[in-house]
Amino acid sequence: MKALEISQITFSYNPSANKSAGDSEYALRNFSMRVDSGRIHALLGPNGAGKTTLMRIITGVLRGYSGDVSILGSKMPDPKALLSIAYAPQAISLYTTLTARENLRFFGAMANLSDQQITERSEAVLAQTGLTDHAGEPVATYSGGMQRRLNLAVALLHSPQLLLLDEPTVGVDPQSRLNIYETLLTLNAAGMTILLSTHIMEEAARLCSSVTLADRGKVIYDGFMSEIDNLEKFFLEKTGRGLRDE
Amino acid sequence: MNLRKLKELIKKEMLILLRDKQTILLLFLMPVALIFFITLALKGVYTDKIYERKIPLVIENESKLPKANLLEEKIQSNKLIERVKRPQGMDNDRIFEDGKAQALVIIPKGFDEGQKPVEIYFDPVLDTGYKIAVRSLMTSLTVEVVMGIDNLDAVVANLIVEKTKSNKAFPSPLQHTVPAYAIFAMFFIAIPMSIGFLKEKNDGTLQRLFTYPVNPNLVALGKIIPYYIINVVQFLLMMLVGVYLAPYIVGSSFHLGEHPWHLIPVTLIVAAATTGFGVLVAALARTSEQSSTLAATGAILMGVFGGIMVPYFVMPVVMKKLALISPMYWAHQAYLDVFLRDASFSFILPKLAVLTFFALACFYVAGRKVKWI
Repeated sequence: MKALEISQITFSYNPSANKSAGDSEYALRNFSMRVDSGRIHALLGPNGAGKTTLMRIITGVLRGYSGDVSILGSKMPDPKALLSIAYAPQAISLYTTLTARENLRFFGAMANLSDQQITERSEAVLAQTGLTDHAGEPVATYSGGMQRRLNLAVALLHSPQLLLLDEPTVGVDPQSRLNIYETLLTLNAAGMTILLSTHIMEEAARLCSSVTLADRGKVIYDGFMSEIDNLEKFFLEKTGRGLRDE
Repeated sequence: MNLRKLKELIKKEMLILLRDKQTILLLFLMPVALIFFITLALKGVYTDKIYERKIPLVIENESKLPKANLLEEKIQSNKLIERVKRPQGMDNDRIFEDGKAQALVIIPKGFDEGQKPVEIYFDPVLDTGYKIAVRSLMTSLTVEVVMGIDNLDAVVANLIVEKTKSNKAFPSPLQHTVPAYAIFAMFFIAIPMSIGFLKEKNDGTLQRLFTYPVNPNLVALGKIIPYYIINVVQFLLMMLVGVYLAPYIVGSSFHLGEHPWHLIPVTLIVAAATTGFGVLVAALARTSEQSSTLAATGAILMGVFGGIMVPYFVMPVVMKKLALISPMYWAHQAYLDVFLRDASFSFILPKLAVLTFFALACFYVAGRKVKWI
């Protein structure tokens, strides 16, 4: 079964862009990819490839695209399907004056969890990310690694079937990174599908079994990680060595 | 509407707001401090403008004869006059320059004989109204002495009757500042409101929120309601300060008027206007710097034009006309209707209609301009 199916997505941040406009007008152009259930799938690409735009489209935050997005068989936008996915953005998207528990309580309520479910799941994800001892402290007092782990914990709160991660280990120490890797592998072993967007090739090679490589809004490779010997070399061969200041 | 989600959105916003000490200082302590300082500062202006003030006056009786003595006695016992002594060796110019007196009356030798007139000198910068008042007083008292009349007012009582109504136009300094700076602070809610919105937009929490099945209108309500509540609490607090605390500090009392329950609709509509302004700033600003500049400048300009900083009744005609463009003017006048004029609700209603229109216009423009992501 396909956890995620993207078909011919075209999107521009410029609402007046028309079909005949150049590729540079589009963040995504005829973008298609699939993620099989139960996989950790890497979404790779240099800056400006369209990875974050794609994440925003999948999560229903961005509208106004052409093409189709299906999540676990439900065509988006579908509010019910939103509850089967979770998104941990690249930025630490937490309320820093609130405590970890208060953040979890808030996002749990937004995910339609009952009070009891929020309490139980909060303790579970806090334990999973090693934050139980600091759960009553304001997030502003957390280190970068702790904030990253809480960012992930919030995404895991409502037990999604498909987890979208946008650079989940940026700016964290090796210990926190290891905790995040172990958490992701455990979740995947339990059946969760994960779409991982990252610039760290070692991370993608270590965690993912399939990969989509994108550049300038288009898919340039879609296949299995086992088919690639050296991911970094492969990445540079496909996307070039020129700087991407976009 | 999902009330549970709305409750959590409100709770989250309240927690963020109440944990921000700077915001609390801005919204609650700033207006209290302004009420006290401005009330004390305005007391002088109000005393000059509205209330009777005693004129410090030097009387020099060079005659010492019966009529001169009687005139001296009548002048110094008048309630408009505060008799002061000329300091040793100080000439007339110096007396005025040093502010020792504002007028000087000399009853010369030969007054009793009708040979010399009473001389009056005024401080050149004394308000014309006071000059006229003192001159009229001197004329009346001199006529009484010269003509042998005991009380000129009693003689003309059948000819002139004063029928001035009680003061309904000029608030006391405290009556002005309590609603004025409560309104001013209520409009300042635009700063934390817009900064909070932009922060959520920029740090990605708003984007994350929209990955859940949450309606944007619910999110908007969850942002507006807490600030609306804070606005009402701000006003209540200012009322408590005005009624219970201010009398001990500024020495005058604050009255809620004959119909204090009119404060409920007035405050609810003023709070809608102030929250509307906050929503508008949040929707128009693109950065925190823009939002604080826009909100603070907007509030200060509305305060300047709206009779908050400079009381409406001392404004020149042009400024009084300009005041009509400021929602703060309508809010302040609505409160003065309650506190000062004991107005009926139908009298206040047009002002509330203007404020409602302002609030709706703000919400409409904000709704058109807002970019959630």
